[in-house]
Amino acid sequence: MGQVIMQASTTARRGLSLPPYLLLLFPAVTFMVLMYGYPFLSSILRSFINPQGEFSFDNYAKTIDLYLKDIGFTLAVTILSTAVSAVLAILLAVYLRLRQNRVSRALAALYKIPIFIPFVVVAQMMNSFLAPHGILNLALAKLNVINLEHPLQLFNFYGLTFGFVWKMIPFSALIIHGGFQMIDNSYIEAARSCGAGLGRVITRVLIPMNRSSILVALVLVYSQIVGTFTLPYMLIGGKIPTTITVDIAHRINYFSDFGVANTLGVFSYLLVLITAVYYLKSSVKKMTGYQASEV
Amino acid sequence: MSRKKSFLVLFMVLALFGLLAVIGQQDSEAAPIRLVYMTAGDVNMLALGQNVLGPAFSKKYPGVSLMTVHTGPGDAGSRLIFEKISAEADSKKATWDVDVAMVHQIFLKWAEGKDLLLPYAKELSTWKYVTSPFAKNSLGVPAEGYVMPMFHSQTALAYNPDYVKDPPKSYAELVEWVKKNPQKFGYNGIKGGMSGVAFVVGWVYWKTDKYNKYAVTGPFDKAEVATWEQAYKDLGEFNKLVTITAGNVGTLDALNRGEIWMGPVWVDMFFTFMNEGKLDPKTRMILPEPGMPGQPMYFVIFKKAAHAKEAKKFVEFVTSPEIQAKEIVTRFNWYPGIDGSHLKGAIPAEVFNKIYKDVTPTDLSKKGQSLPLAQYFDAMKESYEKWVK
Repeated sequence: MGQVIMQASTTARRGLSLPPYLLLLFPAVTFMVLMYGYPFLSSILRSFINPQGEFSFDNYAKTIDLYLKDIGFTLAVTILSTAVSAVLAILLAVYLRLRQNRVSRALAALYKIPIFIPFVVVAQMMNSFLAPHGILNLALAKLNVINLEHPLQLFNFYGLTFGFVWKMIPFSALIIHGGFQMIDNSYIEAARSCGAGLGRVITRVLIPMNRSSILVALVLVYSQIVGTFTLPYMLIGGKIPTTITVDIAHRINYFSDFGVANTLGVFSYLLVLITAVYYLKSSVKKMTGYQASEV
Repeated sequence: MSRKKSFLVLFMVLALFGLLAVIGQQDSEAAPIRLVYMTAGDVNMLALGQNVLGPAFSKKYPGVSLMTVHTGPGDAGSRLIFEKISAEADSKKATWDVDVAMVHQIFLKWAEGKDLLLPYAKELSTWKYVTSPFAKNSLGVPAEGYVMPMFHSQTALAYNPDYVKDPPKSYAELVEWVKKNPQKFGYNGIKGGMSGVAFVVGWVYWKTDKYNKYAVTGPFDKAEVATWEQAYKDLGEFNKLVTITAGNVGTLDALNRGEIWMGPVWVDMFFTFMNEGKLDPKTRMILPEPGMPGQPMYFVIFKKAAHAKEAKKFVEFVTSPEIQAKEIVTRFNWYPGIDGSHLKGAIPAEVFNKIYKDVTPTDLSKKGQSLPLAQYFDAMKESYEKWVK
């Protein structure tokens, strides 16, 4: 690496044009620009083009008129699911970090399974699990907890949150557990010998020392949930309110209305923007931090 | 990495692309005539093309093979076909990749005035069997000669006779029934699939009593839309007493699990579910007054199809009384695209009795409505989002 940097600086000093290894970047950069940059910018631009092809705020007016509730709903589901997943994932990761026995090893092997199950399969599972006469309600009725005539209605905000949490805990636990593994045992032992109980070890040692990976997990989970289509579509597609992604599909499939669909897209960018900015900031900080420590 | 090495890597990448291109070229030159058939619709449409129509067609016309490309259910599936063909037209190529396609009615609205379709239907020997008004007009777009209906599908209310002894015979009776049996009627709203959309359209026809203007004669009159407000607000009230299901399939699943006792379904999906053992065989259907919409699916052949001659033969083959009776009606339980009177005797009595038992041919002709003209259709869907809270 150091050699490369030196070479680059000498070439630059000689006043020659692009060093040849930059050519190798060309496919990746082109791919990023064409497949991510261009659609992203074009979707923002096209959200300002009305059906008559003129520049206007018509799409925004219509979106706010028809879908404001859905945007709020998406935000609420996303925040709640992210928060619940984070708390449960931290607890799971703490358990896996602190206990080394047969149960924890079995759990460590099992909990990763949902990561490999696609959302569409999760949606179908949740469909039969959460239905009014689905597995959950039938089991509860057998235990005389509920009356099957009035089952729990879970094809709504709560069921959707449950689905997201089920799918997202393993993913965030994986990242967070990785971070916990980096913390040396001596810190935990030191805290314990000073009289810290389990709660204090978690809140004063493990979580603060692992702050960055927890936040990365939160950001990734949050942005995945905002963009997920299949689970909300298959659970609450026809309901009011529903999520932004279902509305986007509806505008395109039934109206061929890319204007409003793009506008809805812009709103979802805004929802993710907050966390994306944080993510970029923290990774930039990390990179500059490394550089500083190398120097 | 040295400069030499980086050039080597670059060279290898380029060589790989070149190789792939050559392989792709050879592949496309292999078969003598390969007819490319794109189909929208559910996965059964793929099965029909790939496993049934393709092999049977190749058997009759050796040397012609059928490649079925499936684009997905609902209008979204037709949309993909439209986008593909629009792109081909924009590219100004001499011939287009896709020869023939199976599309929903809305496709004709999108394709209107774009010069994408070949007027072929009247050249077919099976044209004389087509009597359906749907073959002349698609959501208000004149389509005669450009389309051949392969089958017709209809929505109706399915119900569980264990709980519903005396099913409501009209939308008005349904409203009363729902008040007595809250949450036992289920449909999938307007974003969850076409059976819900059809139920809503039927609701508007009933409330306004203007089926003829909205679906047959037109013209589109924007002032009409404002008059629907109360109809939709009533639907909003109705919704408070019903269960919103998770999609077309969701309604059938909920019926099967006993969560709901009644709900709108597509007749062909109803039979498919029953044939696969996913629906209680006791479940029945009724087509309520004043009616509910249905829709055909059409064959279209593209203007610059590379194999237009074979495509015509293919459509002729599928719309022949023999295939219509054997595959469309007997195997898939759709209503035929051609006039049913030409199929008499060719369909086993049990199949005939099954598919026409609850929704009779008289019901179909009296209460089988068409979806509205495209502009009214859009307005109806959007009004739901505006007024049903």
